[in-house]
Amino acid sequence: MADLVAVSITVNGKLYEKAVEPRLLLSDFLRHELRLTGTHVGCEHGVCGACTILLDGKAVRSCLIFTIQATGQEILTIEGLADLVEGPAWHPLQEAFRETHGLQCGFCTPGFLMTLIPFLEENPDPTEEEIREALSGNLCRCTGYQNIVKAVRMAATALKEGAK
Amino acid sequence: MSLENIACAFPGSLREALELMSDETTRGRPIAGGTDLIVQWESGVLEMPARVVNVKNLPELKGITRSDSGVVVGAGVTHAELRNSDVIRELVPCLAEACATVGGYQMQAQGTLGGNVANASPAGDTAPSLLVADATVVVESVQGQRRIPFRDFLQGYRKIDLRPDELIVSFILQPRREGCREGFRKLGPRNAQAISKVMGSYRGHVENGKITFFAVALGSVAPTAVRLPKLEAWITGQKISPSMLEEVQSRASDEVSPIDDIRSTAEYRKWVSGRIVRGFVERLAEIQ
Repeated sequence: MADLVAVSITVNGKLYEKAVEPRLLLSDFLRHELRLTGTHVGCEHGVCGACTILLDGKAVRSCLIFTIQATGQEILTIEGLADLVEGPAWHPLQEAFRETHGLQCGFCTPGFLMTLIPFLEENPDPTEEEIREALSGNLCRCTGYQNIVKAVRMAATALKEGAK
Repeated sequence: MSLENIACAFPGSLREALELMSDETTRGRPIAGGTDLIVQWESGVLEMPARVVNVKNLPELKGITRSDSGVVVGAGVTHAELRNSDVIRELVPCLAEACATVGGYQMQAQGTLGGNVANASPAGDTAPSLLVADATVVVESVQGQRRIPFRDFLQGYRKIDLRPDELIVSFILQPRREGCREGFRKLGPRNAQAISKVMGSYRGHVENGKITFFAVALGSVAPTAVRLPKLEAWITGQKISPSMLEEVQSRASDEVSPIDDIRSTAEYRKWVSGRIVRGFVERLAEIQ
């Protein structure tokens, strides 16, 4: 067995110092080591987007990064999303997905939400085409995407109003 | 998860990384975004190395700058950074367009230009744009730097001119000249997240209805991405006309030598190559 490697990674504002095998994927680290099972693993080869997390603010697939490559960086997972807003409220994206029924089984939803956070920061007033392009790396097998697009529009409006 | 165990090294600087690469006992497979490597390791397409050297976020491999010799892009610059860069959008727009079609939103945030080139797939989406921008690859080892024209750097199917002790550090791209138009077109089964059947880039200039300059490159039609030198030589000085467009299409089809594989057939790729290049010339005609 190769030697374990010490990593220090901040996840949802909390610093974790662990020793991991170099081959351990970040998605497995989050789920198995930290028990943060909100990050879902669908295809495990970079297609479905269910495992999307934020790494230093960028939406990336956690199934395509070794944990050791994330050392010293900050991660946000779905479990930390509601903490971005004050109080006991949900994040506007979470609200909007619920309101518009932007999910059915919900397996893909954490990945969609995480992809959308930096997207709506970069592009607070997206067109439908831009929304669909941004979400092209996230697969949903239930909804047909219509209500997901509606949710993004609703969230964009709410985020803009919140920023005023 | 079927990955075998490996050792890893975390250089904090390019110098440190090069020192690791210089010695057989410490060198390893450089890994940046990991979007190609991890998939290939997991599926068994590539054998896992005993060691990886993490070059993700090495500060010396970041940045897009203008210099006298061209636009310098660090090997660690991501596709997202390229597609959003004002410098690239202005001076090498075909590369910005190509990067906007790589994978999906997350892949673009992760994958790097150096990684796309080092993966050396004939279907690598950035290669045609690097060819039409007459890119130079800067590679470095502890011995020093080498500068290699990108077209020579691509040596064959998944073969590049990179020695075991070297890392790709940057690319120098020639900016388009005033009045030149350029673009990228990709054909795959789906608009996003699809590996290309055929893709290409062009850069061209038209004056009084005549083509005064034309560079075109296609990918997925040969062991490496290729320029079409015969077509480029023929087209220079030609007046754009319907019959000329027909001839562009057939000449471009004839100049490529694609194969049948899981994504497409040789016959279809030949035909599409002609259509893509014809489309480029049609776009040039629009701006007269």
